[in-house]
Amino acid sequence: MQSADPPVAVRGLSRRYGGRWVLRDVSLSVAPGEVMLLVGHNGAGKTTLLRVLAGLVRPTRGEVVRCAPPGVVAHHSMLYDALTARENLAFFARLHGVADRGRVPHLLDRLGLAAVADQRIATFSRGMLQRLAIARALLDDPALLLLDEPLNGLDEAATDIVLNVLEERRVRGGAVVVASHQFAELVALATRIGYLVAGRLAALEPLATRNAGQILERYRALARAG
Amino acid sequence: MTRLERARRTARRGTILTAVALAGLAAVYVRALAFTPIERFQGPAQKIFYVHAPAAWAALLAFTITGVLSVLYLLLRDRRLDVVAASSAEVGVAFSVVMLTTGPIWGKPIWGTWWTWDARLTSTLFIFLLFTGYLVLRGALGDREVRATYSAVLGVLALVLVPFIHVTVYWFRTLHPEPIVAKPGAPSLPGVMLVTLLSSLAVFTLLYVGFIMQRYALGVVREAREEGDLDAGA
Amino acid sequence: MPGSRTVAIAWAVAAKDLAIEWRTKTALLASLVFAVLVLAILFFARDATAVPTLDVAPGALWVTFSFAAMLGLNRAFLLERENHALDGIRLTPASPTALFLGKMLGNLVFVGVVELVSLPLFVLFYDVAIWQGLPVLLLVMALATVGFVAVGTLLSAMVVRTRFSEVMLPVLLLPFLLPPVVSAVQLTWRILAARPLAELSGWLSMLAAFDVIFVVLSVLLFEAILIE
Repeated sequence: MQSADPPVAVRGLSRRYGGRWVLRDVSLSVAPGEVMLLVGHNGAGKTTLLRVLAGLVRPTRGEVVRCAPPGVVAHHSMLYDALTARENLAFFARLHGVADRGRVPHLLDRLGLAAVADQRIATFSRGMLQRLAIARALLDDPALLLLDEPLNGLDEAATDIVLNVLEERRVRGGAVVVASHQFAELVALATRIGYLVAGRLAALEPLATRNAGQILERYRALARAG
Repeated sequence: MTRLERARRTARRGTILTAVALAGLAAVYVRALAFTPIERFQGPAQKIFYVHAPAAWAALLAFTITGVLSVLYLLLRDRRLDVVAASSAEVGVAFSVVMLTTGPIWGKPIWGTWWTWDARLTSTLFIFLLFTGYLVLRGALGDREVRATYSAVLGVLALVLVPFIHVTVYWFRTLHPEPIVAKPGAPSLPGVMLVTLLSSLAVFTLLYVGFIMQRYALGVVREAREEGDLDAGA
Repeated sequence: MPGSRTVAIAWAVAAKDLAIEWRTKTALLASLVFAVLVLAILFFARDATAVPTLDVAPGALWVTFSFAAMLGLNRAFLLERENHALDGIRLTPASPTALFLGKMLGNLVFVGVVELVSLPLFVLFYDVAIWQGLPVLLLVMALATVGFVAVGTLLSAMVVRTRFSEVMLPVLLLPFLLPPVVSAVQLTWRILAARPLAELSGWLSMLAAFDVIFVVLSVLLFEAILIE
């Protein structure tokens, strides 16, 4: 997993859907070992940016350079309701070519899902589903983890597990990009913060403060200026 | 010159070409009706042939062009190829309808039956159905790039399919010959008739090109409107 | 040429699809019921005194097979749309070819089950003697099915993105059924009538050519479809 190259970088990225420019001229580079927090209103382009970084969406303009496929946790679980947690992970593990047979049980354990491993996920709560999605994203130990609103609808216990996993990633040298408008809990972990205003990356800077209120102020100031 | 201005220029030229072709069409009709002799066995009904055969030719031309441009689009990804391919499909539908309606009109007095499942007529029917499917698919897809790519995929599949259809029907017919005296084709035509036929073919080809040019221009303008603003943006 | 990893992934995809289908069973049951109904209706939809069953049987069989198959073809990609699972697959190193082959294999098993269950019913309803020609008939069934399932799998990947995918698939797929179904009917008729094998070679080569060309074409074109 360790590497000196940025796992992903974009330059002059713009993306249009129909008549609307959702992303305008975004440039950024993610460094190994950093946790980049992206904040912005709904519709500011966070989800689209993550999807472009993931390689699911092609840019209309600009370029993307990616070292390896990232692990992705998105709004939709990308899992099969009719299968059990274990079957879901086993399937994606095969697609990723994960040779280690212990990987799936290990991840189930790590994300606190060992007890429900053989239940069909149609019965899962949002918190359980989210943890399973994270397990899936971690199957091949990716250098980059992308998360879109990961803490939405999670209870405290689940939130703790997720934050724990993200911290572990950072410590081990992996990179994390997380988009959220619920950033109070994530601020403690973040190394850099990007402000997305109407499709533009208004600012990308190391955290000056861990205070959520001040971050919100900064965002509003940038939104007014832009 | 911006894309829009170029498109408008194409539209103007296309309109002129179409006007010329229509004048040519009128001339061909006059020639066919007044100056070309009546065919001995089939009678005056045979004159529909001068519309039927060129329409079939134009439909086949339109179809082949859509197919070839589909292949090129998948290789080159130039959006203009998609607009022309779609234009060709729309124009081709029109010509196939002409062919499929003149066929029975010609057939009834001559063969005593409205429809005959011979290879050529059936292939054109399927070309019509494939075109229609192509246009329905386009109508159901909103995103421009997805629409262009998926249409191209269908275009390629359709292009490869039609020869199979032709051969299948031909084999089927050789096993189950139907008692038809005259074939819907042009065996050996005497000079005068041949000239009329060739003129008609030429006129229909010009019509095809003229229609395509106008339709292409319309397509470009329409897409520009869909995009909101073509040249401004990020 | 597909490597062993491609085959392994295709197999995993097909197994997953079939496991899910087995747990819900809705599409399978619908197709089977449909097949029985079509066979029955076509049997009665003729003047029994004027048209012997042997004349009607091959056509009835193949109309049943192809239409029942169409009911099942969309499930393969529709199930990837719930929860956006297809994105999950696109994020893995699995090649589009492996994904397509897996989907096609799943569809082939599905359609194969429908055909193999309908066949005895066909023999029962239409009172035809198939024992002699059974191996050849099964070969014909396999060849024809591969052809239209390949194209059908590709087309369903496209139409599941539209709103009326159930209607769009038949509209697009039916023209592609003509060569394989006509060939299959011609062959089935000859097999049921116990004609010598030499008479079958022409239509068999048509089926084989159609299969090779359209399977290869579908595999090649599939990659273009996996875009946002």
